Amino acid sequence: MAQYYDIDDILADEELVPAVFLEAINGVGLFESNDTNRVEPRSKVELPFWLARELHLRQAASVSMPPCFNKKTREEIGADGAHVDLRTRCSYFYELGCKIVQLIGDKTIGSLLLVAFQTRYKEVLIKAHTAASALTPKFLSLLTKEEIKLYDAAKSSTAAFRNWRMGGPRFQKASVLGRKRKPIGEKNMHFCLPALWRIGYRLGCS
Amino acid sequence: MYGRKACQLVKEFVSSDSGQLIVFNNDLFAQVIEECDGHLLQLQALLRKMQVEGSDNQTTKNADHFGALVHHLSLVRNKRCLMAYVHNRAEVIQNLGWTIERVLPEEIEEKLSSSEKEYFKNHSATLQSYMSDLDLDLAVDMVPPKDPYIKVRVLEEIGNVVLSDQLANLALHAILFLRRTDAEQYISQVFL
Repeated sequence: MAQYYDIDDILADEELVPAVFLEAINGVGLFESNDTNRVEPRSKVELPFWLARELHLRQAASVSMPPCFNKKTREEIGADGAHVDLRTRCSYFYELGCKIVQLIGDKTIGSLLLVAFQTRYKEVLIKAHTAASALTPKFLSLLTKEEIKLYDAAKSSTAAFRNWRMGGPRFQKASVLGRKRKPIGEKNMHFCLPALWRIGYRLGCS
Repeated sequence: MYGRKACQLVKEFVSSDSGQLIVFNNDLFAQVIEECDGHLLQLQALLRKMQVEGSDNQTTKNADHFGALVHHLSLVRNKRCLMAYVHNRAEVIQNLGWTIERVLPEEIEEKLSSSEKEYFKNHSATLQSYMSDLDLDLAVDMVPPKDPYIKVRVLEEIGNVVLSDQLANLALHAILFLRRTDAEQYISQVFL
C-alpha cells in the first residue's frame, strides 16, 4: 500500500458520510446515545468514510451522497466555482469525491469535480501570482487542503521567479548557515510557466 | 465515535509546519493504544460468543459478525493512524540527521519520545560511519556551489592563518577571496 502512511489520505478518510445500516450490529458502542450497544437495521447515521466504505462493500450499510455534493453546492459551483466555500463543506472535497464515486455509481461527480477544479485552479493561480498577501486570507479560507498546497506552490514559484529576474541574491548565504532551509521542490518549477506567460502577455509579446 | 482519538493524533502532526516537530503526544498515544485493547477484547468476546453458538464466522452474517467486523476495522484504522504518526515523525527526524550534527539541540530533544531519541542517535551514527567509510562529508553543500571561492569580509580580528591554498591575513574589515571550504568554519563561528 503506497499510501498507507499518507497523512492526507488518512484525514480524507475521516470525513463523515451519511449511511443507513442494513444489518443489525451487536456489541458496538458507536453512538453515545444508546446504552444497548446494538445498532438496529435502517438506522441513519453519519459514519467516517473508512468505516462506511468497508460496511458498504460488505452490504452491512449503504452509503449515500455526502452533503458537500448536494444540489445546492452543485448549483453554486456551476454559477461561480471560484468563490464557493469548499473548506467548511469538506476540506478534502476532491479526494472524498474520488473515493465516494467508487461506492455510489453517480457519474455526475466526476464532471462536477472537474468543473470545480478547473475554475478554481485558474483563480488560485491568479491570486497566488498577483495579489498582495494582505488581501488573501479571506480567499484562502475558501480553499480545500489540496488547493492550499497549490496556492503555496504557486506563491513560492512567483517568489523564485522574482528572485531570478532580479539576478539572484546579492549576498550568498554560507551553506553551513543555510542548511536548515529545505531546498525548493522540483514540482514548484512547473508553476513558473504561467507567470512567464502572463508577463509576456502584459509586455505585449505573446 | 471510534478512531476519533487516533485521527486527532494525526491532525496534531499536520498542524505543525513541515519539517518541524511538536512534542510527542505520549498521553494521546497511550489513549489510542488503550482504545485498541478495548476493541481487541470486544472482538474476542464476540468471536467467542459466535463459537459458543456454533456458527462459523466465515459464513454466517449475523449481528455478531458485523459487530466483530466493526471492531476489526477500528483496530486496523487505529493502527494505520498510529503508524502514520510515528512514521512521519521518523522521517522528520531522519532529515534532522542530515542537517544538524550528532548532538540534538535541547529544544528539539525535549520534543522527542525516548525511542525517537534512540532512533536519531542510531541513524546519525549510521550516517557518520558511512561518511567516514567514504571519507567524505556528504552533508556539506547539499546545493552545488557555483564557485569554489567566495568573497568574505572579516568581522573579527583573527590575524594570519594558513589556509589550504594560501596564507591569509584575516585583519578586521578586510575583504578577501577565500576557498569556500576554508571560509565555512570561520563563517559558522561568525568571524567572517
